[in-house]
Amino acid sequence: MVNRNVVTLLMLVFGLLCAVMLVHAQNAPEASERGKEVYEQSCAHCHGTEGRGDGSAAENLLPKPRDFTRGLYKIRSTESGQLPTDQDLFDIITIGMPGSSMPGWETSLSADERWEVVAYIKTFYNGFKESEAPPRQISLEGKIAYSEQSVETGKELYVELGCVECHGNVGRGDGTSAPTLTDEWGFQTWPANLAQSWNFRGGADTEAIFKRFIGGIAGSPMPAFEGDSFLHFGLSVEESKRLTELENKDEMTEVEETESEKFYEKMDVAVDLALNRAEGIELTAAEQQTYDDAMKVVYEKSWHLANYVKSLAPEERPEPAIGKNVLRSQYVQGELPGMEDTAWEVLQSRHFPLVGQVVIEPRQFNPTIDSVNIKSFYNDTEVAFLFMWDDRTHTTGDEIDESTGKPLEDALAIQFPVKVPQGPTAPKPYFLWGGRLPVYLWHWKASAPEQVVEITAKGINNAEVQAAQGALQAQGAYTDGQYKLWVKRALKTDDKKDLQLEPGVFVPIAFSAWDGANGDVDTKRVVSSWYTFVLEPVPSSRRFVYPPLIAVLSLGLLFGLRAVVQRRNS
Amino acid sequence: MKRLSLFTICLIILIGSWVVLRFAIGGIVSVPIPGSVIAMYMGLIIIAVLVHISVEDSLFREFLRPIHETLVDNNLRVRRRVIAVLIPLFLLGYTHSIIAQRANPPGSPRDAHPSPPLELTYKDEVIGTMQDVVNPFRHYEKDDPEAFKAHVENGRRVYYDNCFYCHGDHLDGQAHFAPYLQPLPANFQDPGIIPNFQESFFFWRIAKGGPGLPAAGTPWDSAMPIWENYLTKDEIWDVILFLSDYTGYQPRTFGEAH
Amino acid sequence: MKTYLLAGFALLLACCYVGNAFAADSGAGEVEMLVFPDSYSAASVSNGGTISGVVTFEGDLPEMKKLEITKDQAVCGATDKYDESLVVGEGNALKNTIVYLIDISKGKDFDKATKLEIDQKGCKFSPHVQIVPVGVRVTMLNTDKVNHNVHIFSSINKPVNKQQTKNRRKMPLAGVKKAEGPVAVKCDIHGWMSAWIAYVPHPYFAVTNEKGEFTLEGVPAGTYKLGYWHEACGTNSDSPASVTVEAGSTATQNFTLKLK
Repeated sequence: MVNRNVVTLLMLVFGLLCAVMLVHAQNAPEASERGKEVYEQSCAHCHGTEGRGDGSAAENLLPKPRDFTRGLYKIRSTESGQLPTDQDLFDIITIGMPGSSMPGWETSLSADERWEVVAYIKTFYNGFKESEAPPRQISLEGKIAYSEQSVETGKELYVELGCVECHGNVGRGDGTSAPTLTDEWGFQTWPANLAQSWNFRGGADTEAIFKRFIGGIAGSPMPAFEGDSFLHFGLSVEESKRLTELENKDEMTEVEETESEKFYEKMDVAVDLALNRAEGIELTAAEQQTYDDAMKVVYEKSWHLANYVKSLAPEERPEPAIGKNVLRSQYVQGELPGMEDTAWEVLQSRHFPLVGQVVIEPRQFNPTIDSVNIKSFYNDTEVAFLFMWDDRTHTTGDEIDESTGKPLEDALAIQFPVKVPQGPTAPKPYFLWGGRLPVYLWHWKASAPEQVVEITAKGINNAEVQAAQGALQAQGAYTDGQYKLWVKRALKTDDKKDLQLEPGVFVPIAFSAWDGANGDVDTKRVVSSWYTFVLEPVPSSRRFVYPPLIAVLSLGLLFGLRAVVQRRNS
Repeated sequence: MKRLSLFTICLIILIGSWVVLRFAIGGIVSVPIPGSVIAMYMGLIIIAVLVHISVEDSLFREFLRPIHETLVDNNLRVRRRVIAVLIPLFLLGYTHSIIAQRANPPGSPRDAHPSPPLELTYKDEVIGTMQDVVNPFRHYEKDDPEAFKAHVENGRRVYYDNCFYCHGDHLDGQAHFAPYLQPLPANFQDPGIIPNFQESFFFWRIAKGGPGLPAAGTPWDSAMPIWENYLTKDEIWDVILFLSDYTGYQPRTFGEAH
Repeated sequence: MKTYLLAGFALLLACCYVGNAFAADSGAGEVEMLVFPDSYSAASVSNGGTISGVVTFEGDLPEMKKLEITKDQAVCGATDKYDESLVVGEGNALKNTIVYLIDISKGKDFDKATKLEIDQKGCKFSPHVQIVPVGVRVTMLNTDKVNHNVHIFSSINKPVNKQQTKNRRKMPLAGVKKAEGPVAVKCDIHGWMSAWIAYVPHPYFAVTNEKGEFTLEGVPAGTYKLGYWHEACGTNSDSPASVTVEAGSTATQNFTLKLK
């Protein structure tokens, strides 16, 4: 008896707590003058004073600032078609959206101010007032832990569900549909490069990936994969597997035909229930059970998919090659490895982030190339580099840019000073293709993948193709959203306009890259400031001579000391 | 209990001081202390110890006794041999690690705020001397607050159309383009920036950008555009008003001191 | 005095509100919308009349724009595809025009037997313009074994963006709650695919065929405003045609449309 009382009491307390939390979650913010003030001070220049995403800075931004008047929010913890929770909005304001121009406001706005802004931006869309029920949240129950097997299952789903259409074979956002995507407002939009988790707008943990997948990304072409549109909705995992087998056959026998029909009938029933639910028709207990069972399979498979997506990218962005983390070309004896040689695998690549060129018109405010990763080997006479960078499209200059009349084409340029500055205070050439001091450039274009042109430049608009070419061997390839460029050159050349390389000398190095499909041409491109590169000297052989010598000497010293003390004592 | 010998005490003091400096003070209490600073402190401590033991002859003898004993006493043969192995081994490893160390690139001795030229110009037009030029719209702050507000608002527009990509939404130099620029874009929320310079200085930095810096400011590294190519004179003055209005910091003035 | 002030203030507020509302409309109103009655009640109609007519196009006919097929060539590129925003047939007959009664509040019920389907064969939506009654499901067909995603850009109803995987031959979509439209339908996977759905509250809507013809049947006798909507030519919501229908007879109303 007592036990039952206790249980009832506990349930009551628990229920009350839940109710309080719900009320708090839903009613926390109250729109106020303060919210408007903060909004106009901090948000309006991008999102517009009326929340239409049309502030004065919006013109040069892509992704565009969110238009709050439609109630379409990309990053939600709620089901497809539902509004975000207040917490969702608060989190986005707090953390920001990586890979876009939306910063996190945690340090510059107090939590109260952020809540006020949440309340204020909700006033831009009436749907927030009209909706009676709180938005349905995506359940994170039954999360499947990361494992090799789960990743394998997810990988199959990735293909079956058609993720490849936009995100590409290995997730670099290079699917065949990628170049034609537009968002709800008609602006061009690119599918996420799943290999660059640091740019995931809503975060890169498995739960976040799962939520984006189930709930969709409202306003973007990313569909929601919850419920009835899911592959084989209504079938168990085994049944679905069997049906996939059948469906992948070119022709089914009569028996198989009947078998698959049965599956389709089962699916139709489940889909019908899902639609009833969506239309607000109440389900009977048995129907609810059928629906729940179907959803369980959907969620289970989605966790596998989330695990697979998680597996495509490193946990964090690689350390940029700044400071001690410079690009060190490693010495090898004999022939340098070619582009496809497995010898490259022993090296860890160095990561060079690139940013839009906004110094000289035409400028690139919305870059699509994030970074270039580099490995290098050298021997006694030559140096070889392997450059790798992600680009969602393979553009070889078939289209002509209207304003410049030049072909839109993917390209990479590697920049060195002609003369290495002697000492840290010595001047370097200007980081954008030189100025008073010239730079020496290797310019590679996707339309001529076996060729690198040597250029001397004294400014971004003052470049001259060198008269003497042919010092470089090159090989380029594009696969699955990634360019690979292999370049080899002799350490020393006869050309006075070339950079001469010597082991142990730190050489400034910088990059420019063009994504033709993003309108990159001429000065419109992504660039880097000066980084550093060195032919790492072979470790000195002195390291085998001096240390033993010193050890022996110290031993001798100890014996000598002992002899002296002994003599004095006697 | 056997009394600790003076030598052991000195050894404990030295090792103890090093541990405290390296791990306790630098690490738990504050950020790690640089190696050179630790070396300096350790040098001082060694000198203090040496001074202490060499004040009196007896003390010094007391100090040397364990060393003597270790070297000659036949009862301490094991200790002697262990030391005879450990010391050369330690030196072997230490010299090897020094020789095998990889060279690191030279740091940049960049002066973040180099001296401006004497004359302030916009394109080729001379505005005046750096010392005397004032923001022509600054006086509205007192004379005509409405007009002042309009200039600040225009500055805000200019800032968010042009500057926030690198200097950030909150003017703290932490924008989406910023983290991979070397040098980092200026942080106007830093109390050491706006109050330390006249508005003419900011005009110069904005108008001439990275390439306009003197050599001490490593003009070849800075990604700051030459804004006089894109902005009018008034727009530059307005954006300077916005910078100080948004951050609440007043630029330095000399006018009133005269 | 106070009252006047208050009234003035209220008036000012009202003006601001109305101004805002108009501004909002002009922002969102890229596509002109159909006009729906405030309420509609269905009853059996005996001896109703018919409105029929022909919609023709007037003006220089722009060249049919051939669509660029960027992927799945084997299936989607098998036949040439053209932009269907303006399809003009023989005698300038204008296809895909919605003709409808604007101000009807009582009339027949929907024909429940009609199955609503939009086919995606050959990576093209057909029909290009589909009338869908509120609350009724429409089924998307996919017989080509390619992936599609059905993206319906509703703003009053819940927007739809659902993947129809390559083996899924039929995908029914939930009925909507409110009249809306026409709303754009797209497939993001095949960027050129485009169609329109109008979610309607009463059955007096017709879409013109290749000959530009339309027929509205079972119309209770009376005088009605007759509206049209065309993707490229816009609407006549501002000045709809007035048509009087007599019981059991046919009224004719033709339209001639120009590009917006």
